[in-house]
Amino acid sequence: MKKNSNAKYKAYRWLVGIGRWFLFALVAFVILFPVYWIFISSITPPGELFKTPIDYIPDHPTLESYTFLIENVGLISKIGNTVLIIGVTLIVGTTICVMGAYAFARFRSKAVSLAFGFIVATMLIPEVVTARPLYEFMQKVKLFDTYQGLIILYISSIIPFTVLILRNFVGEIPVSLEEAASIDGANFVQRLFLVVLPLMKPAIATVCIINFINCLNNFFTPLYYSNGIQVLSVAIVQLPLRDNMYGVPWDLVSAMGWIILLPIIIFVAVFEKQIMDGIMAGGVKA
Amino acid sequence: MISKKSLQWIAWVLILPVLIIRGFTTIYPILKTVFNSFYDIRILSGINEFAGLSNYINVFKDQKVLTTLEFTGIFVVISMFFHIILGVGLALILNMKFKGRRFLRTIVLIPWAMPAVVIGMAGKWAFNNDYGLINDFVRRFVPDFQLNWLINTGTARAAVISLDLWKDLPFFAILILSGLQFISSDIYEAAKVDGANGVKSFLYITLPLIMRNVLTLCIPFTLWRLTGFDLVYSMTSGGPGEDTSLIAYRITMEAFTNLNVGYAAALAVLLFLVMAVFSWFNMRFMSKLED
Repeated sequence: MKKNSNAKYKAYRWLVGIGRWFLFALVAFVILFPVYWIFISSITPPGELFKTPIDYIPDHPTLESYTFLIENVGLISKIGNTVLIIGVTLIVGTTICVMGAYAFARFRSKAVSLAFGFIVATMLIPEVVTARPLYEFMQKVKLFDTYQGLIILYISSIIPFTVLILRNFVGEIPVSLEEAASIDGANFVQRLFLVVLPLMKPAIATVCIINFINCLNNFFTPLYYSNGIQVLSVAIVQLPLRDNMYGVPWDLVSAMGWIILLPIIIFVAVFEKQIMDGIMAGGVKA
Repeated sequence: MISKKSLQWIAWVLILPVLIIRGFTTIYPILKTVFNSFYDIRILSGINEFAGLSNYINVFKDQKVLTTLEFTGIFVVISMFFHIILGVGLALILNMKFKGRRFLRTIVLIPWAMPAVVIGMAGKWAFNNDYGLINDFVRRFVPDFQLNWLINTGTARAAVISLDLWKDLPFFAILILSGLQFISSDIYEAAKVDGANGVKSFLYITLPLIMRNVLTLCIPFTLWRLTGFDLVYSMTSGGPGEDTSLIAYRITMEAFTNLNVGYAAALAVLLFLVMAVFSWFNMRFMSKLED
């Protein structure tokens, strides 16, 4: 009797185990297979993309699509634009957000709270609502299609989320630490740089990682506020059609897509913990 | 806490940069949009005159906009429905204790981190009748399967919604997961002792505990669906006809392609109002829920 129920329990455990692995495999497949498909498409000679059924292990792998992107589409300069804009955005944007977040957490007055409320409330404003007047304004002040203009808009897009997360983080750092420092004779600047900033490092790293991904994902801003300066996310929708009558230059799109995906996959793999923390701390939108 | 009057200037020095940049990109443009919505501004024909409420009235006579609103509604409702059902499911999978958990949690971040345009462009090809990934997969089971997804209204809409789910569902699940992790395993142990099986403990323990979390998440996720642009732009360009065009896409097309600026502004104001009412309503609802 006892033996029987033991065997039953074992069978049950075994079934549950199988079920788990099945679900695991299903989710992994649904997510990874399309990504793999993009990759193999990018190294398949363009002619062989018009094959059915699809060859999931390419017979003649080639980097031809990538060299075409470099030689004829200016891939290197687009990568340069993307890195430059995102790099400056992260450095300048994070700096001013840290300053703002510190002030919002430590200074209390009606006006300061109002300013904070304003910044958080602007999260609600969709970019399409402000797009056309902003576009005309950017042209008027000669910031349209300039690096400065794009960087200002990128910074603006990361401000609400970054300020919100960092402010909450500063709020959790005990004020007594700063008070102790000021009794020891530290002035305001020293307190900020020597006491608060070192403690904020993990939060700053998290927002930088998430903002990097958000900036890489940003499509609307570079699409409508610049012409000549192309970043990767815009370039992928404006690739030239080669020998393809189907409306999608899939050979080039898959290669360009993979160039965007590779840093993202590396980032996600390396910074999984920070990204999870950041997402759970604030609810982020890509 | 610093509330001394004499030190307040420091606060403003620190706050001013973010405030100026954020203000510069929101306050003036939004006021200008409201202003423009009462004017008939068509750049292509050089018209710029006061029009009163006629832009707003035209919205409800414009077949393109009505189709757009129809799809926006369908898109939001169906996508959110599956977000909740499948999102809770995926969160439970991610919360299971087994060896592959960390790997799974890492890879679900990939769709979230991928630009929607990349997904849209890949989707355009994946749903291609002859050479796409989807039909290739179906043909492994149903040979001679033929379906040009993006040409027919129903299937094009299904394709857009499924890609939206592919991208955002993992993100929704991660956010639910953060709530799931707070449920202590003691409760489940106790329920087990009382004879509750897996389904029962899900229905009576897990679900009530994460319900508030799920409902709270529905607010931003619904708002993001209402303002979705990238996916439709890159995947279908709103086609066939206007059948997969979302409201944000329609506004952008009026503003930047048709250069019908006043009309676009009226649409934008309406979208903004809908979002504001929706958020207000939800805030009321949430505060009621908390009582």
